Amino acid sequence: MTAPHAEQLIAGYLARLADAGAELPREQRNELIEDMRSHIAEARSRESGDETDASVLNILDRLGEPGVVVAEARDRLGVQAIPAYRPGILEIAAVVLLPLIWPIGVILLWISPAWKTRDKLIGTLLPPGGYPALFWLGAAVAVTNGEGVGCSGVGVNGQPIQFSCSGPPAWQMALGTVVAIVLLILPLVTAGYLAVRLRWGRQGAARPA
Amino acid sequence: MPTDGLVSQMRRGALEYCVLALMRDTPRYAFDLIDALGKTGMLTTEGTLYPLLSRLRRDGLVKTEWRESTDGPPRRYYELTAEGRRALNAFRTEWTAFRAAVDGILQEAKKS
Repeated sequence: MTAPHAEQLIAGYLARLADAGAELPREQRNELIEDMRSHIAEARSRESGDETDASVLNILDRLGEPGVVVAEARDRLGVQAIPAYRPGILEIAAVVLLPLIWPIGVILLWISPAWKTRDKLIGTLLPPGGYPALFWLGAAVAVTNGEGVGCSGVGVNGQPIQFSCSGPPAWQMALGTVVAIVLLILPLVTAGYLAVRLRWGRQGAARPA
Repeated sequence: MPTDGLVSQMRRGALEYCVLALMRDTPRYAFDLIDALGKTGMLTTEGTLYPLLSRLRRDGLVKTEWRESTDGPPRRYYELTAEGRRALNAFRTEWTAFRAAVDGILQEAKKS
């Protein structure tokens, strides 16, 4: 029989261990958590009779407070406590410059340790080039479309001049407008996303996934 | 008691060699080591053994291997390397001399 709250108790203990071990190098933290996990499994398999919440708690008590175990790991493995990184002017500059002066924004983005690689990729590629690139893209599209628009006016002996124009069909215009709006908003959305991830990342430093 | 800190420091320092000594004849898994150390009072917080084992492995004094067990989950076995054996022998020599010296002085002091 499994104790009614065994899984929650164990998950809670391992989460506190991961929390306390945030400052350990990732590999060593993962190894410690894996060791503890298999220790708990071994201890549970040795319990005779029905498992109770109390017997699970006893196993965890004997393992020791996560903070104590991590302190031992720090000592034994010679790990210095790393002060948490605090985002500052570099990150603000990166977020502001990314849509405006994309190359500089990208460099700052990748220099900063405050974002994960995934966020850096999103920041770099959505959209690549920022507003300047969008401007040139827009100009290129306008020129291409402009070539397709032709008007001819025919005036015959005082009759009103009739114009017939051949432009892109209406649905294409509407679609183009939507795409243009999305593209115009996109750099701002990306900058906003990076700003949000920055704040979360600060809290997340103590709670690794 | 002022000796509390000293004794726990000595116990902590000697613990890693006790762990090596326990593996001298046969590979052991962590729980097995904890059982043996717990009986002698050398280890009170079981979880603190794991950082020690991790360091011994990183220092190349022990090597590890996972093995299936018939009566429980898979176990990670720890085995002395040649370097671990050398470290253990060196400690044994040092420790014997140290213990003899301290014992000798303590007994002299008692007689006088």
